[in-house]
Amino acid sequence: MGPILQVEKLTKRFGGLTAVAELDFEVREGEILGMIGPNGAGKTTTFNVIAGTYPATGGEVRFAGEPILGLPPHRIASRGVMRTFQHNRPFAGLPVIDNVLVGAHTRFAASLWSVVLGSARSDEGQRRKRAEELVQFVGLGELRDADVATLSFGQGRLLEIARALAGEPRLILFDEPAAGLTPAECARLAEIIRGIAARGIAVLLIEHDMHFLLPLAQRVVVLNFGAKIADGLPDEVRAHPAVMDAYLGSHATPQ
Amino acid sequence: MRAGGFVFFKTNHMSGLLRWLIAAVVLSAAAFFMGEYHNDVYRKLLLWVTLALGYNFLFGICGQVAFSHFAFYGIGAYSIVIFLFQLHLPFPIAVLCGIALCILFALAVAIPSTRLEGFYLALATLALGQLFIVVLNEGGSVTGGTGGIANYRLPELFGMRVRGPWYTGVIVLLLVFTYSILKRLDDSWFGRACRAVRDNPEAAAAMGVDVARTKVIAFTLTSALAGVAGMVYAFVDNTVNPPIFGIENAFLLLFMVIVGGAGRHAGAVIGAVLLFLLPFWLSPLVGHHHALVFGVLVVAAILFQPGGLIGLWDRFSRSRS
Repeated sequence: MGPILQVEKLTKRFGGLTAVAELDFEVREGEILGMIGPNGAGKTTTFNVIAGTYPATGGEVRFAGEPILGLPPHRIASRGVMRTFQHNRPFAGLPVIDNVLVGAHTRFAASLWSVVLGSARSDEGQRRKRAEELVQFVGLGELRDADVATLSFGQGRLLEIARALAGEPRLILFDEPAAGLTPAECARLAEIIRGIAARGIAVLLIEHDMHFLLPLAQRVVVLNFGAKIADGLPDEVRAHPAVMDAYLGSHATPQ
Repeated sequence: MRAGGFVFFKTNHMSGLLRWLIAAVVLSAAAFFMGEYHNDVYRKLLLWVTLALGYNFLFGICGQVAFSHFAFYGIGAYSIVIFLFQLHLPFPIAVLCGIALCILFALAVAIPSTRLEGFYLALATLALGQLFIVVLNEGGSVTGGTGGIANYRLPELFGMRVRGPWYTGVIVLLLVFTYSILKRLDDSWFGRACRAVRDNPEAAAAMGVDVARTKVIAFTLTSALAGVAGMVYAFVDNTVNPPIFGIENAFLLLFMVIVGGAGRHAGAVIGAVLLFLLPFWLSPLVGHHHALVFGVLVVAAILFQPGGLIGLWDRFSRSRS
């Protein structure tokens, strides 16, 4: 499978601080790529630059062959890159199903005029049905019409995922999806992420929890101080000396 | 039996259009059973409800705190009168020019201010509202100054002059027209995008919603609807003058939406009806101090019942079922 996302020499500086330095990696179609690194390694910055939240200082990001760096977040989403937030950000005034429908925003065919003239009903029904399927897929079926304020943290995370899937992404970005979840919820989440990849959607998973990420990812990129220190298969990365350094400190390197 | 009858009345057997038509006929027919005074009160009530519905979309659904709704109502009212009786434009052209003027002003305010944070929209629209009154007062023979413009009549259309309770029917049509547009928008991807922008703009953008564009469209659309309502208002009293379009009424509109329940069409209707009629009941008791009662109501709503009266009704009906 070819690459869906290509990141080349991506650099992001905040004043004098270089958060990401000349980072190269790619995500292939249908794969789960893990990005790992200790706190402050530049994972979330990389994520936000790809999603269009921060402008980059330099480098190039191509999605499906097209450069996307510098596009506003809504444009990047409409091209098929959807994301979840590390701290759940639901639309508090909307029930669960409508939160998911907002995720499908860019997929509605009806123009504003046809909405005003009342000729856009069929599109709405079809999208709603699809959103219901996604709510089922993440396991929130019974909470379809619930007020999002009544969801637990873990359920809120599942809602984030259903909402991102509603945009029919070709690439989905997960920002530390396991953060704050119970072990049981983590297991369920891993299952869902595998299910997403099985649908042919590429997954970029940013995580600092190795125990969650390594069994899940097909390939792993390791960051430290904004630079890539290793990449490869999970087992290779696990045994890589630079990774052990970064995670455990230099004296822990086995001889 | 009763439940069955209700279902029959509500769904399937009646197309959407027919339901709108029946609502319009019932609301219009009421005007024919009223005296002149009550008909006048009724017309103003219908106009307030229309404005509240539009403002609710802007403030309650899209989360934009704007104080320009009455300025646009005024731009609509003054422009139709000036275009018809000073520039002597044909009626349809005058209407279109009035709408175009509202859209132009709305874009001029919305494009720069919605790109900034909400606070700036409030300031910009407050400034527009104040500026509009100054322009009306200082407008010389064009706007008629502080006295406004009077002594004109609705031109004949197709050889007929709509008046009396029939004109109330025109206002009902305006209300139904406004509501049907807002309801359709609200039930669509656009309405959801507006609510998403209100609740969490950053997450909305990540879902593909163009936040600035959504805000500008919602502002322009509701402002244009206020302008159309203003055009209809111009022939209610056959006079337009500055005080009607001032900031006080813009605040009253905000109060109506908050007390009724922001973000809900039914809330806007309840709030508008209640706060419009309240002074009639209160004035024998407190004279002109009804603003004090409004203030207490608004503060109480914000502190204890952010969902407004419609939210209270929801809780009541949920606890009963």
